[in-house]
Amino acid sequence: MRLSIESVGAWGDGFSNWAELCALINGEVGAEALEQSTPKPEVIPANERRRAPLSAKLAVEVCSQAMRGSHVGCENMPCVFVSGLGDMDLTDYMCRQLASDNKQLSPTKFHNSVHNAPAGYWTIATGCTEPATALAGLYCSVTEGLLEALVQCRIEGGPVLLAVYDTPSTVALSDLYPCEQTFAVAFVLSNGESETAVATLDMEIESCEGTAWPQLELPDGLQACYDNNIAARSLSLLAPVARGSDASMELPLNNNLNLKLSVCFKGPDN
Amino acid sequence: MLVHILAYQSTTAAWANVSEMRDALSSRLSGLRRNDLQGSDVDTWIGRVSDLDTAGLGRWHSRANALARACLEEGNFRKTFDSARREFCNSRIGLILGSSTSSIDRTEEAYQHLEDGKLSENFRQDVIHNPGALSVFVAHYLGIHGPSQLINTACSSSAKVFAAAARWLQADIVDAVLVGGCDALGLSVVHGFDALQLVSPNACKPLDRHRDGINIGEAAGYALLAKYPLTTSTGIVLSGYGESSDAHHMSHPHPEGRGAHQAMELALGRGSVAPDHVGYINLHGTSSRVNDTIEAKVVSSLFPDSTLCSSTKGWTGHTLGAAGITEAIIAMDTLETGRPPVNLNLSELDPDISISVVREDTLIQTRHVMTNSFGFGGNNCALLFSEESTAKSAEALYL
Repeated sequence: MRLSIESVGAWGDGFSNWAELCALINGEVGAEALEQSTPKPEVIPANERRRAPLSAKLAVEVCSQAMRGSHVGCENMPCVFVSGLGDMDLTDYMCRQLASDNKQLSPTKFHNSVHNAPAGYWTIATGCTEPATALAGLYCSVTEGLLEALVQCRIEGGPVLLAVYDTPSTVALSDLYPCEQTFAVAFVLSNGESETAVATLDMEIESCEGTAWPQLELPDGLQACYDNNIAARSLSLLAPVARGSDASMELPLNNNLNLKLSVCFKGPDN
Repeated sequence: MLVHILAYQSTTAAWANVSEMRDALSSRLSGLRRNDLQGSDVDTWIGRVSDLDTAGLGRWHSRANALARACLEEGNFRKTFDSARREFCNSRIGLILGSSTSSIDRTEEAYQHLEDGKLSENFRQDVIHNPGALSVFVAHYLGIHGPSQLINTACSSSAKVFAAAARWLQADIVDAVLVGGCDALGLSVVHGFDALQLVSPNACKPLDRHRDGINIGEAAGYALLAKYPLTTSTGIVLSGYGESSDAHHMSHPHPEGRGAHQAMELALGRGSVAPDHVGYINLHGTSSRVNDTIEAKVVSSLFPDSTLCSSTKGWTGHTLGAAGITEAIIAMDTLETGRPPVNLNLSELDPDISISVVREDTLIQTRHVMTNSFGFGGNNCALLFSEESTAKSAEALYL
């Protein structure tokens, strides 16, 4: 089963687009102290952007970038949004408030807390009327998202927008999920071969035992991100693309299945 | 390809299983009660499942997981699932569940017992405090080896599981899929919808002229879908699905119901079913002022006046991420019984609503039913279910 990556959008600590992430992966710039910054996706009107949570701003920013870099389709394409832990800041806010004597919640924060809020902000900002899906799959969120995008591309025909993002953990949950980094990427994916592709992905599902993610050799700051931020596990397939090389890998779908993936580099992103 | 429904099961405040569901629907016995959630002072009604057994879950402990487990163990559902497991290779049985909150009930509780701002020992459950927790638990509990997924698109979550499963079957990555959904009651949903001024201080009355808001409920439900029927099959197929985005507002539906219209039209188109052949529509019908009027408008524009409709939220409350599966099962079961549920708590139909609402016990002969689910973020899904014989004879095979 083959997919083409048409374009990549990226935002995280120390990078604000795919070219900058490539430079980090390739060691062209230092990755020791990666600064955190919040994107301001222009596609969301300013008054809405003020109310949008970090998770939505991240996802919408990388989707906008991927869309700008893509030769296929327009914003009105089906989209799949994936996050392993969702908007942890808003979960923290709600649980903290509800554990106090004053249980009055902010209505905006409540509707922003739904897991598909980033998908909602994206479809509203771009006028996208196509189906939007939001997934959560804990440690295997990246592979579950890839599989879903693959199936949608094959069955529904057209290109699919896939966004994967996770934000830093909160103090309360930091022992369970020790993530200090921000990482978001988006891909425009099309079915089969494409002349405009950055890379192709061949995927197969195969049986396995255990859920080990491959070891990557990344500069320190990015390595910590890969180890702790669930969305950053997409670096396993992005690293070879950034290096302009081909690679084969096995990524866990669950305790019993791997997604066997062959990445074939086609050309630099534009 | 036809998507066959081998079995289904439902647990809500008004019934523990499908057999009780038929009794509750025909005797008009609602599961709603005054809000008695511990620590909650919101003046509203809720649909809470009584006597839920939460023991023995260990590191998987949460109310949501207990509810998900309880429903799986009702009636013959496990037996049918196990016989499907003998029929299909274990790694070719997938799992797609929908939930808007997964186990947030447990996270809320954990925050009442923080130590130095961090989780205290009893609550350090990495499989619990995350939005995908429901699928992680059910895959573990049933020993499902195939691909699994948790769709979290608020109140359309467990309707979209049918669309996703149909694609998985069509793409041939699985031979069967357990779909379903579960959302348990917690403070965040009751207080969150209260903050949006959407909850009613009364038992909800969908479509009524004097309706004044929604009641939050909890539920779990499942359906087992496969490429071909087994001996225990229901004779019902998923004949169409439609998904869309409103592209309008995070918490208000599109004023003309554009996304809802698109979803219903797509479902009919996929099933090649003419609107006048749909005998019953289970509405999203939340009992909010806005939803019911807009949804009814869209239904009137697409379907003839004779199409029977009702909302069943007067029994269950709005079960959020579990509403899709719960109401899909109610709609499917209407194909089985021929008895569309009445629209509970309706005294005076909203004069702005001009659809045929089920108000009396009726026996109908129909081969196609529809159900609607709409969620925050403008996320819509409509599902069409048909009698297998009809889908075959018409050769209007879906997909």
